[in-house]
Amino acid sequence: MSALTVFTETSNKIPVVSFAVGFRVGSTADPVGKEGLARITARLFRRGMVSLGAEALEESIDRLGSEFGADASPSSSSVHGECISRNVEAFSELMSRIIGEPAFAEDELGRVVRETQAELVEARDSDRSLAGRAFRRTLFAGHPYARRVAGTLASLATITQADVRAHYERAFTRANAVVAVSGDVTESDARALAEKLVSRLPEGTKNVDSVGDPAGPKGRHLVVVDKPERTQTQLVIGAIGSRADDPDHYPWMVGNTVFGGTFTSRLMQEIRAKRGWSYGASSRVGFDRHREAFTMWTAPAAKDTAACLALELELLGELAAKGVTDEEVAFAKNYLVRSHAFDLDTAKKRVHLPFEEALYDLPPGYHTDYVRHVEGVDTKAINAALANRVKIDDLVIGAVVTQAEMGTALAEAIPNLASKTVLAQDFE
Amino acid sequence: MTTTTDFAEVATRLSASRPEGQRLRHIASEAFGPGMTIERFKLDNGLTILVERDASAPVVSLMTWVKVGSRFEKQGKTGLSHLFEHLMFGETEMTPHGAFDRQIEEAGGETNAATFLDWTYYVQNLPVSALGLGMRLEAERMARLVLREPQVASEKDVVMNERRQRVDDDVDGAVSEALYREAFKVHAYGIPTIGWMEDIEGFTPDDCTAFYKTYYAPNNATLVLSGDIDPEKDLGTLLDTFGVLAPSEIPVEDMHPEPPQVEERVLVVEKPTSVHRVAIGYKSPAFGDFEHAAMVVLAEILFGGRSGRLHKKLVRDKEIATEVRGWVGTFRDPSLFDISLTAREGTTAEELLGLFDVELDKVLEAPVTDDELERAKARLELGTVQSLETAPGRAESIGFYETVLGDPGAIFGKLEAYRRVTQGDVLRAARTFLVKTARTVVLVHPNGEPDEELDEEDSE
Repeated sequence: MSALTVFTETSNKIPVVSFAVGFRVGSTADPVGKEGLARITARLFRRGMVSLGAEALEESIDRLGSEFGADASPSSSSVHGECISRNVEAFSELMSRIIGEPAFAEDELGRVVRETQAELVEARDSDRSLAGRAFRRTLFAGHPYARRVAGTLASLATITQADVRAHYERAFTRANAVVAVSGDVTESDARALAEKLVSRLPEGTKNVDSVGDPAGPKGRHLVVVDKPERTQTQLVIGAIGSRADDPDHYPWMVGNTVFGGTFTSRLMQEIRAKRGWSYGASSRVGFDRHREAFTMWTAPAAKDTAACLALELELLGELAAKGVTDEEVAFAKNYLVRSHAFDLDTAKKRVHLPFEEALYDLPPGYHTDYVRHVEGVDTKAINAALANRVKIDDLVIGAVVTQAEMGTALAEAIPNLASKTVLAQDFE
Repeated sequence: MTTTTDFAEVATRLSASRPEGQRLRHIASEAFGPGMTIERFKLDNGLTILVERDASAPVVSLMTWVKVGSRFEKQGKTGLSHLFEHLMFGETEMTPHGAFDRQIEEAGGETNAATFLDWTYYVQNLPVSALGLGMRLEAERMARLVLREPQVASEKDVVMNERRQRVDDDVDGAVSEALYREAFKVHAYGIPTIGWMEDIEGFTPDDCTAFYKTYYAPNNATLVLSGDIDPEKDLGTLLDTFGVLAPSEIPVEDMHPEPPQVEERVLVVEKPTSVHRVAIGYKSPAFGDFEHAAMVVLAEILFGGRSGRLHKKLVRDKEIATEVRGWVGTFRDPSLFDISLTAREGTTAEELLGLFDVELDKVLEAPVTDDELERAKARLELGTVQSLETAPGRAESIGFYETVLGDPGAIFGKLEAYRRVTQGDVLRAARTFLVKTARTVVLVHPNGEPDEELDEEDSE
């Protein structure tokens, strides 16, 4: 039996113990046409074990003063739980059985599929969700990141018990597991509890993630979701982003802090503070096991959307061409280093850092040596990263608007637009 | 560990050299659950200070709770408490526009604020080294805010965009606004905290200045410090910064209680939504009312998690809903047991309401089971404990309970009250408050459905 990857942090501040078990297989492993499989499998954990039906399981979780959740992301699947510490033995035993002895009953699969399909329909009411999905499927076209973690109405309907069982057997193994235990528990007990959580899982083999980096489209592409009666536009602009092991990952991240990473960043100043155009304005350099997206988000009133979009493109161009100043860099580094105290102020947050490093194969010390990474960045490195990585000619712009009223103005605000796609709000 | 006596002695010593009217008194040490303590202080100017000391992390949460919210507003001037909350991050006599947030961020802190029916709070979560800066800036804006154009106009635009995001283009937000407007015909709980769009648009710097002078004063606020504070140093800074502020005469609240509701109100609205929805508000007890605890336990039994009765029946068994939520208002005055149901495609709002009523009738007819009661209590215990894990979480709890109930540690009293709730209490609360003639219902239909009665109409 291989050594289990376990992280622990203890604290008796509150009488609660937290558990997280991550598995190195996520929705990018869903077979084509079976999108949503990883997430359906995770959701089925709550729908009964071999020896306990779904309703009785829910009642057991509540009776112990505990909570349990399971979900999938593109590169991982995870389960997490939390309980009042006096019930830690009973809850950890229950959690071990939930993940080690799932029933995956046919009727429960049908129920969870129908429930998920209904949620997909309801999610059309969220403009931000629509904008984000339209953006990702355009930016990552041809790459597994373009596919929806939750699946589609059609793909969910094809998922069978055998699919779920096969995914479970591949993903939920000891070799794929990373465990975190934190809170009101001793170090030695935490390690024993971690072993108990995965004790019912087979050894298996560690998953090799063969997904490559996405390339992203050349040119500027607008994808509009047409929705009636929009008074405001959820607007996302972005491009292919960074990998955690890029040599210029941290410089870009610090540069992005100047651009759109804080409440007083350039984006907030120009869009919210000076012009009042949007309640929020931010940008993010995402990370995952593979190259993720760089995104800028705003939500201007319909009447201000074209002007806001044009300004964002101008600000991004200026960032790539001129970079950031020494003064801005000093501010960003101070902010990032000093605020790091809030990444460490609870046992659960502290244990999450090495847990995430291990689960996503981030470079050793990506989080745990965060302060040194940030302090090691200088203006020259940041500006080189921005000049090299911010591709202002290769952008995807996603927006939810009432097409008849806004579509033309939006397209006209984007110089050198290569393509425009209009999607109905029920696009899959 | 500093003892209670130490805090009193520190306050007395730090105040000794200060003029009368600018001194700090230690009032009491109050238990905060089984292992924590809140130190209560008062400045001569009337500012209440509550300190919860915890050295487990080098951080501190500084919260200012002001006893003003949308309950103090009138039609035609709605949303001023909330707009003003935004303006509090602006210019002061000593700090230029934008510098407040910039200085806090450079120190590694974050700021935020919230406005609701009964209160407004401001929070600064800071590395402990930045607490002095935080207190100086907080005191400055309590007394030396500068309100002028173009900042007021720009912030109005921001708030109008916030309204579009949270209400106008958000079905849940729009429906919630309609529910409270229908449920409260007299009491100001019917006013949306964010305000009506035309009211937001109409505010002037003079409106804002008048509001500021009326409600923002040390004797209308509570300061909460939770985290790794140094009593000697930080209470000294408190005296230097807040101690010198002058109190105001706070006007008596011109409050109009809501008359008893004697007839069900049903509103049918059409929205650009993919599915039907239902919002229901039963008139419910004030947060300080004895019956509130039983109502919370009842809500937990009906809506708590996946084993709650409504989830089990409407989402799992009947498969006609995707989501069911219920929450008992935690306000100073009687408010709503606020319920929202989201239908699955193919189910109408009326059908969903019909099955909801069948389930509700069951808790009026027979007691809930012992097991349901125990599960609800266990869930409430976990939620209570979880909310106190971080310094910001504890500061929020202390400030909220002090502002609404006058007891900063009341979260634990509430937990005890939940533990005492019996099956009989739940049955009594259900029969008292789940009364159809005292409820308001909003039925939401997707736009463009073939139905003759879909215009916005009030059945009353």
